[in-house]
Amino acid sequence: MKALYRYFRKRINLFLGGVLVLFFISVAVFAPVISPYHPVDDANLMVSEQPPDTEFWFGTDSQGRDILSRVIYGSRISLSIGLVTQLINTFIGVILGVTAGFFGRWWDDLIMGFTNIMLSIPSLVFALAIMAVLGPGLVNVFIALGLTNWAYTCRIARSQVLSVKSIEYVRAAKALGYGQTRIMFEQILPNILGPILVISTLGIAYAILLEASLSFLGLGTQPPNPSWGGMLANAREQFFTAYWISIFPGIAIFLTVLGFNLLGDGLRDVLDPHSVLNNK
Amino acid sequence: MGAYVIKRLLQFIPTIFFITLIMFILLNILPGSAAYLALDQRKAPDPELIAQLEKEWGLDKPLPVRYLNYIKGLAVGDLGKSFLRKENVSQLLADRIWPTFKLALASIAIAVFIGVPLGFISAIRHGTPLDTLSMVGAVSGISVPQFWLGLLLMFFLSVKIRIFPTSGYGEGSIMNLILPALSLGVGYMALIARTTRAAVLDVLTMDFIRTARSKGLSELQVNSRHVLQNTMILVLTTIGLQFGSLIGSTVVIEKLFSWPGIGSLLVDSIYQRDIPVTQGCILLIILTFLIVNLVVDLLYAVIDPRIKYQ
Amino acid sequence: MKKNLLILLSLFLISLFAYTNAWAVREGGSFVFCAPYGGDVFSLDMHRTGNTQDYIVGLNIHRSLYKWDASQNKPVPELATEIKTTDGGQTYIVTLRKNIKFHNGRGMTADDIIYSYNRIMNPKTASSATAYVKPIKGAADVQAGKATAISGLSKIDDYTLKIEMENPTELGYLLYKIETAIIPKEEVVSKGERFGSAPVGCGPFKFSKWVKGSEIVLEKFDDYYEEGRPYLDKLVYKIMPEGSARDMSFRAKELDANLLGGAQYQVYQKDPELSGNMVEVAEMYTRLVGFNMNYKPFTDKRVRQAFNYALNSELIIKKLLKNKAFRATSFLPSTSPAFNPKLAPYEYNVEKAKKLMAEAGYADGFDLEIIGTNSQSYGVRVIEAIIPFLKKINIRVKPQQLEGGMLSQRLIKGDYQAFIWSLESGPDPLVALNRFDSKTLPSAGNYVAYSNPEFDKYLDLARKTGNQTQKLVYLTKADAFLHADAPLWFFNYNKAIIAYQPWVHGIKPVAIEMMLQDFTNLWLDETSPRANVK
Repeated sequence: MKALYRYFRKRINLFLGGVLVLFFISVAVFAPVISPYHPVDDANLMVSEQPPDTEFWFGTDSQGRDILSRVIYGSRISLSIGLVTQLINTFIGVILGVTAGFFGRWWDDLIMGFTNIMLSIPSLVFALAIMAVLGPGLVNVFIALGLTNWAYTCRIARSQVLSVKSIEYVRAAKALGYGQTRIMFEQILPNILGPILVISTLGIAYAILLEASLSFLGLGTQPPNPSWGGMLANAREQFFTAYWISIFPGIAIFLTVLGFNLLGDGLRDVLDPHSVLNNK
Repeated sequence: MGAYVIKRLLQFIPTIFFITLIMFILLNILPGSAAYLALDQRKAPDPELIAQLEKEWGLDKPLPVRYLNYIKGLAVGDLGKSFLRKENVSQLLADRIWPTFKLALASIAIAVFIGVPLGFISAIRHGTPLDTLSMVGAVSGISVPQFWLGLLLMFFLSVKIRIFPTSGYGEGSIMNLILPALSLGVGYMALIARTTRAAVLDVLTMDFIRTARSKGLSELQVNSRHVLQNTMILVLTTIGLQFGSLIGSTVVIEKLFSWPGIGSLLVDSIYQRDIPVTQGCILLIILTFLIVNLVVDLLYAVIDPRIKYQ
Repeated sequence: MKKNLLILLSLFLISLFAYTNAWAVREGGSFVFCAPYGGDVFSLDMHRTGNTQDYIVGLNIHRSLYKWDASQNKPVPELATEIKTTDGGQTYIVTLRKNIKFHNGRGMTADDIIYSYNRIMNPKTASSATAYVKPIKGAADVQAGKATAISGLSKIDDYTLKIEMENPTELGYLLYKIETAIIPKEEVVSKGERFGSAPVGCGPFKFSKWVKGSEIVLEKFDDYYEEGRPYLDKLVYKIMPEGSARDMSFRAKELDANLLGGAQYQVYQKDPELSGNMVEVAEMYTRLVGFNMNYKPFTDKRVRQAFNYALNSELIIKKLLKNKAFRATSFLPSTSPAFNPKLAPYEYNVEKAKKLMAEAGYADGFDLEIIGTNSQSYGVRVIEAIIPFLKKINIRVKPQQLEGGMLSQRLIKGDYQAFIWSLESGPDPLVALNRFDSKTLPSAGNYVAYSNPEFDKYLDLARKTGNQTQKLVYLTKADAFLHADAPLWFFNYNKAIIAYQPWVHGIKPVAIEMMLQDFTNLWLDETSPRANVK
């Protein structure tokens, strides 16, 4: 019993994070079953901007729609945007960043030049261009968000590789004649995993919030369909008069990102062979 | 080292050239006409006037000609003239560069001075309630939109208790700087705190540190060098990357606080399709970005002498 | 008797006191106002900007031949003591004031007016004010490059000017616009392009300082031609596009007056301290949904009418816009001289709408994409609210939010099914309705491609008649055609509200655009925190 307690106590992050993430994923999956109202069709101006009460737990928005139902349905779009774009970002960013830092020379120069370009183009211009060329649509949001933010991950990965590369044991591995791929994945990657996990899990918040600025340009989720970022952004003017319109999607974003962060930390502790968990 | 710097500086040229080309194409293919947008959208537009404006701004010429003109100007340091503001782009940028830098520096400073110690503490107290608390703080710092935070700060610190002015540049007064810098800095602080913590933890758990520890070296001795090196590199990288983006992405805060910065100039000019200003802003952002990151790269070698540049 | 006299005397004294007190305007102080619209202030050269924000500031630096009189709701002569026409608006004789000085100290004469109008028409200036000078004889030739000077402008002496028009026209409705400001040639020549960022005019305030993107400071012009005006020593415009930030600044008493959004209007009305200090006006902007007349279902008039009947506009105004709007009848607003108060707005009648849809063969409805921006009062937000109403008559609406530039591009090209926007509908009803003339191309503002020969006929009659009363009769008729044909969902006329601090005296309801506030007569009492700021 005590052992079980200690087992969980040590993996509290993983456990809590897992629960939160699972909760939101199931909310997204079962949205039609659990939401009390339809997020779009049940608009009723007669009850617009009602504060939270027993009928509308989270209150209603300016068009008289149930915010709870909109937060529930919004999880579908916001979660998928957060996850998919971060997966794209991290995948591209880590591969290019690690190789750039590891091989250096012309490859590093090329990748650095490329990231400089990506990081300098204002995302607004990039998003407008995608909207103009490809038009609206969810896939294009993934492209816009997934392809703009990888450069950041890439640079962080590279800088970590640079600082780890020169450390004794990596040099030892080299001296032992380990293959380059093996050094990269067995020696370097595990040791830079921490910052990468942090960036990609926090990045989920960025992606969810950024999606709102894309819908404002016509690229993201289009109203009346709900997304957390969009609900937040559209309630700007009502911030002080009807706080509930923006506070609940805000809390949803916070809990989701917290969940992924806890999960990330927990995973790192479990996966990392050198982790404190296995050490003590 | 010197040769490396020269090599990097030379690499700026193709990067800048490439970005200006991409930006030129992107900006010119965006739907929406600068001439139409120059007029009040609620009034009926006068097609004759539209044609006149397009002629004045050279928008009637074919794209390659316009690009050549732009590059020719750029070669002699002429960034062109704003369509709407009737001023040289270099003048417009000069007017706003200092307020922007000030805001960016102040928010980065807030982020670093609070974020780094916070990250260190949570790493050392890894797994304690303090660590959890700092994570919750960091996550909320990132999940809260800057707009909200700015308004809340304004509400409590300018309206309820009148400490700071609600908005404006106030001829460079520090009182006007604090609220916008805080609203911007909190998100970055959270990011820096979290990355610092991760970097410290990574080093703490590396094999060689455990070896050193087992050899009987004190925790402090073990920690200081590698931990500092590794975290400083990470923090510097983060700052370098954020500094570039900060200059262009401060628009929400600038508009909220009437701050005379580059961000709002850039965004206004994108919406108005004021192409010369947009290009000028982007050029400035690239240059800042490249220089800051060159400095960061050079600092890597200073912090950790084993990192060598060829 | 003696006692009565005493009472009478004291009454007299009291009334005298009250009288002087009511008129005790106070000089001095600094007034802080806002430039609230999205975007920046771009240029203070009124001839060369199309940006409303610029006009808000420029209005107090510059002066035009006429000015908009908010209380009479019409233009009145400003730089002239008299502007006479004897032939129904064909020829005007302008007698200028003799004591007008520019901020550089030079006196204004007829030459300056001729210079300014010629500069506007010069194609090199590419002025956004051409439309207002063009009706002067020979002005179009200057714009086309066929002449160097407007032939219809002739100087009689330094202070007398003759203006000949192409057709009989009401001059005031053209030349009150601040876009047609009178400016001194020497300053334009010497400053060149910099004139826009360091303007010189002949208005009550002179330009002092501009922190680009943040604020503009104007100072009292001592040689202003109205005796004892302006009262203020200093006028500051803060560039504040965010409604909530303005609200904060106003509550912190840093702003002396503020343009309200719907959310704040609702709150201010309930606040006993704030509710007394608000000025409201029905602005001459009509918020509407435009139907593309080339989109199949909208070719049928009954479908367009059904759209109007199906919507409970009053409820939407009350609940969504928080009453910050006036229900629209047709295109022309209630503040327009050609507005017909007897015309009833489309009632909310779902049964009638359903019947009309069925008659048109659309009982099963159709899919409709409505494009709009993220505007709070005339954007996709409104479309979201009308979706359930239209669903009842089987119109399945799909909103598409767009950025302003992309929206305008699609309107000009006619590349849409329906749009939501706000269009200028005054002050001159002829100019406002001209947009819907079948000869007006979509690229010139007839976005819906409206075409009705009857409507055109009345517009033509209004153009040709020299009789102002008759003109309004024709235009009222034309507007009625628009109402019946319903190329638009007539949603609302904007209600613009400015809230001001209790120490502010002289904010006016300006129907042409509420923010165009002329501060010549505005004064602050001593309770203002900036009452003595120089």
